[in-house]
This record gives sequence, structure tokens and C-alpha cells, in this order.
Amino acid sequence: MINTKKLSNKIKYTGTACLIIGALLIIFSFLFDAKRAFYNYIIMYTFIVSIAVGALCLIAIEYMSGAAWSVPFRRVNEFLSSAIPFLIILVIPIIPGIHTLYHWSHKDAVDTDPVLQGKSPYLNETFFILRLFICILLWIIFYIFIIRNSRKQDYSKDIALTNKNIKISVLFAPFAVITLTLTSIDLIMSLEAHWYSTIFGIYYLAGTLLSGISAVTLISVLLAQKGYFDERIQRRHFHTFGMLMFALNVFWAYIAFSQYLLIWYADIPEETFWLLKRMNGHWQYFSISIIFIHFIIPFIVLISSAVKTNLNILKFMAIWLLAAHWLDLYWLVMPAFDDHSLAIGWVEAGFPIFTVGIFILLFVYKYSKVNIIPVGDPKLKHGIDMFLYPDLSID
Amino acid sequence: MFGFFKKIKNKITEINSDLGIDERNQELFAVSALFDTPDDIIKAAKTLSSSGFKKYDIHTPYPVHGMDDPMKLKPSKLGFFTFFFGSLGTLTAIAMIFYMAGFDYKNIIGGKPFFSLPPSIPVTFELTILLAGAFTVFLVLILFNKLPLNNNPLLDTEYMKRVSSDKFGAIVEADDELFNKDEIIRLFKSLGSSEVNLIYKFKHNELTTERPIFDFKFITLLFLLALITAAVTYFSLNKLIYLPPFNWMSEQFKVKPQTQSTFFEDGYSMRNPIEGSIPRNELPYEYRGLPDSLVKYMSNPLPVSKEVFEKGKTMYDIYCSPCHGYYGKGDSRLNGQFPNPPSLHTDRARLMKDAAIYHIITTGQNIMPAYDKQIPQLNRWAIVHYIRALQRSQNANDGDMNK
Amino acid sequence: MSYDATYTKELPLVPERSSFPELDEVVFKPTETKPTRAWYIAFIISSTALLIGALSLGYTLYYGIGMWGNNNTVGWGFDIINFVFWIGIGHAGTLISAILYLFRQKWRTGIARFAEAMTIFAVMTAGIFPLIHVGRPWLAGYLFPYPNQHNVWVNFNSPLLWDVFAVSTYFIISFLFWGLGLIPDIANLRSRTKSGIKKFFYTILSFGWRNSNRHWQHYERAYLLLAGLSTPLVLSVHTIVSFDFAVSVLPGWHTTIFPPYFVAGAIFSGFGMVATVLIVLRKVFDLKHIITIDHLEKMNKILLLTGTIVGYAYAMEFFTAWYSGYQFEQFVFINRAFGPYAWAYWIMIACNVGFPQLFWFKKIRRSIPVMMIIVILVNVGMWFERFVIIVTSLHRDFLPSSWAMYIPTWYDAGIFLGSFGMFFTLVLLFVKLLPSISLTELKAVTENAQPKNH
Repeated sequence: MINTKKLSNKIKYTGTACLIIGALLIIFSFLFDAKRAFYNYIIMYTFIVSIAVGALCLIAIEYMSGAAWSVPFRRVNEFLSSAIPFLIILVIPIIPGIHTLYHWSHKDAVDTDPVLQGKSPYLNETFFILRLFICILLWIIFYIFIIRNSRKQDYSKDIALTNKNIKISVLFAPFAVITLTLTSIDLIMSLEAHWYSTIFGIYYLAGTLLSGISAVTLISVLLAQKGYFDERIQRRHFHTFGMLMFALNVFWAYIAFSQYLLIWYADIPEETFWLLKRMNGHWQYFSISIIFIHFIIPFIVLISSAVKTNLNILKFMAIWLLAAHWLDLYWLVMPAFDDHSLAIGWVEAGFPIFTVGIFILLFVYKYSKVNIIPVGDPKLKHGIDMFLYPDLSID
Repeated sequence: MFGFFKKIKNKITEINSDLGIDERNQELFAVSALFDTPDDIIKAAKTLSSSGFKKYDIHTPYPVHGMDDPMKLKPSKLGFFTFFFGSLGTLTAIAMIFYMAGFDYKNIIGGKPFFSLPPSIPVTFELTILLAGAFTVFLVLILFNKLPLNNNPLLDTEYMKRVSSDKFGAIVEADDELFNKDEIIRLFKSLGSSEVNLIYKFKHNELTTERPIFDFKFITLLFLLALITAAVTYFSLNKLIYLPPFNWMSEQFKVKPQTQSTFFEDGYSMRNPIEGSIPRNELPYEYRGLPDSLVKYMSNPLPVSKEVFEKGKTMYDIYCSPCHGYYGKGDSRLNGQFPNPPSLHTDRARLMKDAAIYHIITTGQNIMPAYDKQIPQLNRWAIVHYIRALQRSQNANDGDMNK
Repeated sequence: MSYDATYTKELPLVPERSSFPELDEVVFKPTETKPTRAWYIAFIISSTALLIGALSLGYTLYYGIGMWGNNNTVGWGFDIINFVFWIGIGHAGTLISAILYLFRQKWRTGIARFAEAMTIFAVMTAGIFPLIHVGRPWLAGYLFPYPNQHNVWVNFNSPLLWDVFAVSTYFIISFLFWGLGLIPDIANLRSRTKSGIKKFFYTILSFGWRNSNRHWQHYERAYLLLAGLSTPLVLSVHTIVSFDFAVSVLPGWHTTIFPPYFVAGAIFSGFGMVATVLIVLRKVFDLKHIITIDHLEKMNKILLLTGTIVGYAYAMEFFTAWYSGYQFEQFVFINRAFGPYAWAYWIMIACNVGFPQLFWFKKIRRSIPVMMIIVILVNVGMWFERFVIIVTSLHRDFLPSSWAMYIPTWYDAGIFLGSFGMFFTLVLLFVKLLPSISLTELKAVTENAQPKNH
């Protein structure tokens, strides 16, 4: 049982074009300004992790909470998370960049800095690379297990597989939180090695879940509008997507505000330098626009209940929020590169194009192999039915 | 104890029968029908609304979903009100904080700005939710559902009891233009109703016929309540807080202004520095106790600058102006509680050397006390500069105009 | 494509399917019958505790808060610990009634009303503590910004003022939410009751509700809106409580993870308390087929989840203290785990992170006695969490000359006991006087309650 409706070749060509143009631009940018390119590479890598692992987290949450509404769309999550195995390749360019990116990797800097010396048992190159790979390996293991069971179910329609996946998801949850925390601390927070914030892992996690749900929404809406889904999936099915995007965006804002307010209020120099960097020079305009782009505008747009079933607005907001997450990562990473002015130019352009290319091609490939709807899932019928009738406590 | 409750109970029964709660007349209010399943009631609702009835209603023990379409109900507009009052809460909070903290009562706290957005967000958020939530509840009850309403003839009927528990009911009111008793009974029967009943109006309905608000008893009650509230408020604010233990805070073992110390023999509560102690970073004043004539003329060590004048003005306004007046005219603000000093613009004062003025500030003169313990040395010199400037300003000559 | 897979239904919410009148009977039974002996015994115990608390509080009010164990170094003692403890317990109610409602978790219906009531009682209990903590509670009116003769406004920069707004908003909104939910059930009671005196009160409290679908439509919308408003509200309340600590510069208090960590801890402790009381309640009032073992298992899963989140926060705090390279920060955490209050710290770790891990096993999740022990330990652990945060951070000052220990007095203990007395007295009165399960919601989610075809 493979999808009867074929994807148009245009999508494939777009993906290939994006990938090639992106890759070329990235290569040029490395030749042009390697340091700046490395910083951008960190943004791209963490963004891909956000979407891929974020989508896998959403699958796990679906299993754990027993949600039925998301079952028809679960394959979209699975397709997105199929980027996880490729992370092991994508991570490799970071390794030669450690010296360029991370202050703590310089021996002479550590020798004169007691704070960095204290951190050296954690922040050293061997352990750093080890952690990167352990995280990726853990994701791959859980990805393989969860996806395999899900695919098997297409044929066997075995409820036991759902139960198995629930168990795996429960196991995955703590690992997901820990690995994402480690990834964020290692790759982003340690760019400014003196700075620390306990909430940082959750900040990144919030962005991850948000970009995960946005990516799923975007692709699901596109598929639904082009008629790749079953015709029984209607506008009402997308209400929950809108609600989750709204809720997770508010959650992100909540975490971001908590971190900002606490550092602002306590005013301890050990912490404030990180924020001051982002509140001075050109960065202050960027910081203020982040508040609007990432929180206020999506909040106002998505608060209405009617918007959440308007597919065009949903699609637009999904793209918007993905871009916002990219900007958020940019805001976290780039002040370490240049603490006065924004670095935005053609060097930055290649990375998002490349990312889009990766996901399009992955999607096209997976679509040709796997059913777009998990036809064997026992909760599927309920998931489709629950919105067909207004038999809903929440409409 | 129990007799008291019994009395209340009897009274309530009496009121109930006065209101005619259990007695009904022969005037028909509505025809009611009970149905057994949610599907039946949906069908009944569809039929009633498509037959053109306006004053009909469906009663179910819980909200049956999908009732809006059959009953042709418009979506509830409540959300707009919630949004409006939420926004009102946001604006109120921001305006309130800005006015109170940033404008009316500027107070430095922890080196924070008087008004800034980050610490205003928590209160703003809470007020937003408070107004939005509270108004949602009040509006849904009062504006949207027109409650409380306890004289609807449907209440206290067997029909209401059934639809509160397990049945699904429909009624058509007698006021409806298309109302026809027999036809409606037939319609309900044909829809599969298990029970059709007639509901009559209450015998008399005091709540609608009279105006209890002008009742003498009610007005007396209101008046009494107001009186009690006023009395309690007066008592608590004017008497109670001066009774123990509420006044314990004001009866502490500490020195209070304008009272004699019972602890020190001399009755002073402030102690003088020990004999021979000198202030940090200052030299002892060597001409203490000597008359003006013996004071050596030292010159003012401070330069003439804007900062010095400002310092001098501040110090002068704090320490000197209560008696000497803001412009040194000897116009004391003490309203005769203390003798007025002479003006600083007399020839004698104007011709005094700087050091002499400094000497007077330091050691005092006549009934003027010494200020050496209150004002540090350099600040005294700053005052001297300021006094000079005052004298100059009050006695400007022609030459000054040209400068 | 075909969707032939058989759809397994969720567990029915009322497994031993009862008819609606039977449900009415079961739920209204406590309100319509004389209290049982067990209820009287429980009431006597809890009101005695309340009395002891009232006496201790009376002494404190008369002689002042010098009766407590607080000292110059440890300025916040039992008063604030208990405040945070009780406010935290309140959070489960709103979580169950609002957040789970938004997430369409239908299993919440059986326990939502009760949990909401607990929220209100817990917030009432919590509200006492900051009031008595200010020393002269009769002047607490000054906490609100109203124009006064001193021309002084409240300090909007202070998290303690944010608390005033947060807690009072939380109480009002929870109370309205709860009251709105009660109206249809009280109307049902009004139709049923034969006693004149009860009818009088039910008539007032039911606002003349008559189950009209024209009303239900707005009512449901209001319920949804309130759920939507309560969800961020519940997050904000404990967030603001955490700000009380975290905006300071005190190591051990100032850490950015505090807001989400406190919220998770609050939900954790709230579920602990709800579970504790529900286990007893379903036995005493014979509600086993409405509050089923499946409900309790779901609650245990949430306990496991939130307990683990709290564990993550503990770990992050510890790790970041080390990672920060900030010696005061490092000292506080070493001192917590190995200093004079190490016993409190390890009780906290064991009860909050350790024991809930037993809920990984299905057998334990479904065993009432084991569950009872663990949820009580959760309550203990969460109380100690606040003890650890407040006392261990304060008792070692920046200035070693002012280091001190905190030893609570009998008055502290009496007021603490009294807070339990007050809470349980209110709970007992509630289950006796009002329907402790939302019948309208319960009926709406039973099988065949909703129309099948349109």
C-alpha cells in the first residue's frame, strides 16, 4: 500500500535546486569568511535538530498522551524526523570549527582564566565531540525503533505495536530532554563560555517543539490543500495545530521572559553581559524585533479561533514561526561572532536554502516509499472521525 | 439551637407559600415533552425550528453537542467581550503602574527605573486575566442568559426535575405566534415523546407585580446595614487600632523625636562624640571658642564653580534656610518659634571675611548653634561661596549689569 | 487507501455503566443523607487541628511574630514555606479543570470538581501565611494600590506585590470557574430536594438555572474561555511565587530555571494532594466506579512525569552551579547536599525524585496502598523542597559572622498543623454540602450521551 497519488516532479526539482544552490553558497561562504560561516553552520545545525528531533518529540508526545487527532498526520512528523540519521554527517563540519567557534578550546585562553579552568572537565574537545555523537546516536536509536514499529503497523495493524511505541516514547522523553539540553548548552551556550543560565535547555526545547509543530503544520496544510490526504480530513482537523502553535509560542515567550526578567532584575554582572551584548549596538533593534516577530505578531494572529481553521493563514504562520525560530537561533549565536553589528548578507543566505532543500528531498524520498497516512494505526479512525462531527467539547 | 433553625425553616416555608411557589393557576405557560435519547431531541429541535416556532426551548441535563445547527443558534459572541475586557485590564494596569510608580510617587527601588516594562508585566498580566475572567462569568450569567431568574414557570416542575436528571425535554411557549395546544401535543407525540405535559403559570407572582425594592422592610434593612458598616469602620479606624495589641508597634522601647530620654542621665537621646575625637579625613578646627577677631584669615579652599555653588545651595537650603530664609533675608520659616536672625545682606555681613563666616558656621554665634557636627568642612566652605553669591545677587551694582 | 484497522475504544469513563438517575443518587448521596461516623471522626480531627492552629495564630497575633523561629539571618521560615507549599497544592485543580480540558482529556471529568474545590481551599489556606507574615495583618489593606492619606503607592517593582495580584486573581478566577461549574448541579439539587431550607439556599445558588440549550451554548463558551484564561493564569501564579526568590541576588534563589521548575513542582505537589484525598474519598463515599483505578493510574503517570521534571530542575541547578564557576553559587549547593540541612535535602530528593520513579511499574501504579504511601511521601517531599530552598539558602549568609540555624517553635508547628486542619475541614464540609463530582460533565461523557448521527 503505497500512496496512490504521486508527488509532482516540480517538488523534487525545487528540492534539488535548493540543495545544490544552498550547498554551493555554503561552500562559497566558507571560502569567503570561514569564521562567520561556522557560526551560521551552528545555527543551521541546531535548526535542523529542532525540526527533526522536535518532530520525533511530537510523535512521542502523541503516543504518551494517547492523542488521536494527530494520528492522520503522524507520517509527516516521521518524514521530518527522518533527517535524524543525516545529522551524523551534518555534525562533522562542526568538528574542524571548534577552535574557530569556541573560546574554551584554546589552551592559552584556559590557562589564564580560572573560570574556564573550572569548566574544563566539561568543556573540552574530546568530551564535547563525544557528547555530540552520543546525542545523535540516542536520537537515531529511538528514531529507528519508533518509526519501524509505526511502519510495521501499516501491514500488521497490530495494536501491540502501538503499545510498544508508547513504551519506547516514554523512555525517549527523558533522553530527549537531556540530549536537547546538552546540545543547546554545548553548541550555543558555550559560545560565550562564561555565561550560564539554568533555563537555557528549556528555552531551546520550547523553540524546538514550536518549530517541530510549525514544520508539521506547514507540510500537512500543503498536502491537504493539494489533496494528498484523504478527503475526509477537513479544515477542522487543523484547529489543534493552530492551538498548539499558539500554546507553544506562548510557552516560548514565557520561558524567554522568565530568563530575561530574572537576569534583568538581579543585575549580576556574571549574567548581564550576555544580555547587554544583545541590548546594545545594532543588536538592540534585532532584540526588539524578535519580541514582535516571535511573540506579539503570532500571538495576535493566532489567538482567534477562526484563524486556527483557516488553512492559508495557518500555512503562513507556520512559515513565519519557522523563520522566527531561525532568527531566535541567530539571536542566540551571532552576537558571539560580532557583538556590535548584525552580520546579514549573502553568506547567511545559503544555510536556510540548504535546510529547505534537505527537508524537501527527504520528504519526496520518504513519500515514494511510505504511506502518507498510518493506515494501520488503531486510533486512526477515531482521529479522523472526531472532527467530522461537531461532537467535540472544544470546537 | 435547633429550635432556631426550625423557626427559620417555618419562615422560609411561609415565604414560599406567600410567593405562591407551589400554587399555579389555569393560565397555560407552555407545552412540554420529554424524550429519551439525544438523537430524539436533536430531531425534535430540528422539527421545531423548521416549523417556524420562535419561543421554544430545549432542555437537557448536560450540553448536547451539535445542538446549535438544529436550533439555528448563532455562535456565541461572548469571546468578543472577554477580549474587550481583557484588553481593558491590560491598559488599566499599564496606565495605573505608569501613573503611580512612574509619575505620582517616584521612588528609587533597587536602582531600577521608576517605570519600566519588564517588572510591570506580571501585574499587567494578572489584571488582564482578572478582568477578562470575571466579566466573562458575570456577562454569561446576567447579559447572555438573563439570570438570576427564579420566577420562570418551568422551575419546580416535574418536567424540570426530569430534564435535570436523565431526560431530554422540549417546550413550546403559549406566547408563540404559531402556538396551538393540540397540534403541538400531536407533534411531540409524533416525534416519539415519552411524556407530554402542560405547564401552567404561577398563581401570583409577587416578584413581578410589586417592587420589593421600595418595600419598607427592605429600605430599613439597607439603612441598618449602612449604619452598621459606618459604625464598624469608624470604630476600627479610630478606636480599635489604638487598643492593644494593635498599638504595640507605637509603644516601643526606643527614642522618639521631641521626647526626653529616660535612659541617659542628661536626658539627651543623641550622644556627643567622645572628647577629642576628630572626624575622618578632617582636621580639628583650631579657632574653636575664639572670638571672630582672633580668627586667622584663611581663604576659601574651593574653586568658584557651578558644582560648588550647587553643593552650597543644597547645604544652605537644608541647614541654613529654615532660619535665614532661602535668600538670606532673615525671613525664618519657623513662624516665631525661634527668634529671627539678622539678614545676611547687612553691611556687616557683606564685609565679613570668608573665614569669619566659616567660623560662625563651625562654632555658632549668639543663639545660633554650631554646625560642625552636621556639615563636613568642605561643604561649609561651599556654603560660604553660596552666601557670597546670594549677597552679590541681592545687592547687584551697575557694573554687574555689564558682565 | 483503506482504513480497515479496528478502532479500539478508550476505556469507558464509567465502566460499570450506570443510568443517569443512578449517577445522581451516588453523587448527591452525601448531600442528602446524614453524615457517617467516619465523616464525624475525620471532622473532629481536622477541626481540632484547626483549633490548635487558631490558638497558635492567636498567640502570634497578640504577642507578635517574635513567637516564631525566624531570626535575622533566616528571615523567612515556616510562614513562607507553608505559603508556597499550599499555593503549590492549589495548582493541580486548575491544571485538571482547565489544561486537561483544553487537551480534551476526558478522564478529568470525574475528579475536576473536587480538584477545583481543593484549589480554592488551598489558596485560602495559603493566603493566610503572607498575611500573618507581614506581622500586622490588620494593615494588610495597604498591599492594594488605593489612594491613601500618606500619598504613598505600592511598590510595583516588588515581586511580593506581584504575589498580591497573582494570588488574589487566582483565587477569584478559580472561584468563579468552580462556581460556574456548580450552577447546573445545584439546579439539579434544587429540583430534587424536599427540604425547604435546602431549597432556599439551592434556589439562591443556582440562579434559577433551567438547563436550557440556549443557555448551555453561552455557558460552554464561557467555560472554554475561562479554561483558556486559567491556563496561563495557573502558570503565572507559581511563576510569580518563584520570582519572589529568583529576582534576588541570593545564590540558591537566583537561578533562571525557577519559573518552570516551580510550576512543575506545584503541579506535582497538587496532584500528590489530590490523589491523597481522592483515595480516601472514593472509599468513604463509595465512588469507586466513578473515580476508578484508571483515573488514579493516570494521576500517577502525571506524578511520575512532573516528579521527573522536578528532578531535571534539581540536576540543572546543581550542574549550572558547578558550571557557573561562581564560588557562592557552588558553596550553596554543596552546603545544601552536605551541610547541616543535608537531611532535608535528601528527604526532598528521595521523596520527589526517588519514590515517584516506582510509578514506572504498572503494578505499583495500580496498587492503592503503595500509591497512598508514595503520594503522601510526595507531599512530604514537596514541603521539604520549599524548606530546602528557603532555609538552606538563607542560613549561610555572605557574611560568615551572621550564619545561623533555623529552629521552628511550637507556634510555627501549631500554625502549620492548623493549616492542614483548615484545609481538611473545608474539604470535609465541601464533600458534605455540595456535589463533589460534576454531574453535568460526567453525564456528557458517558457512552451514548452524545448524538450519533446528524
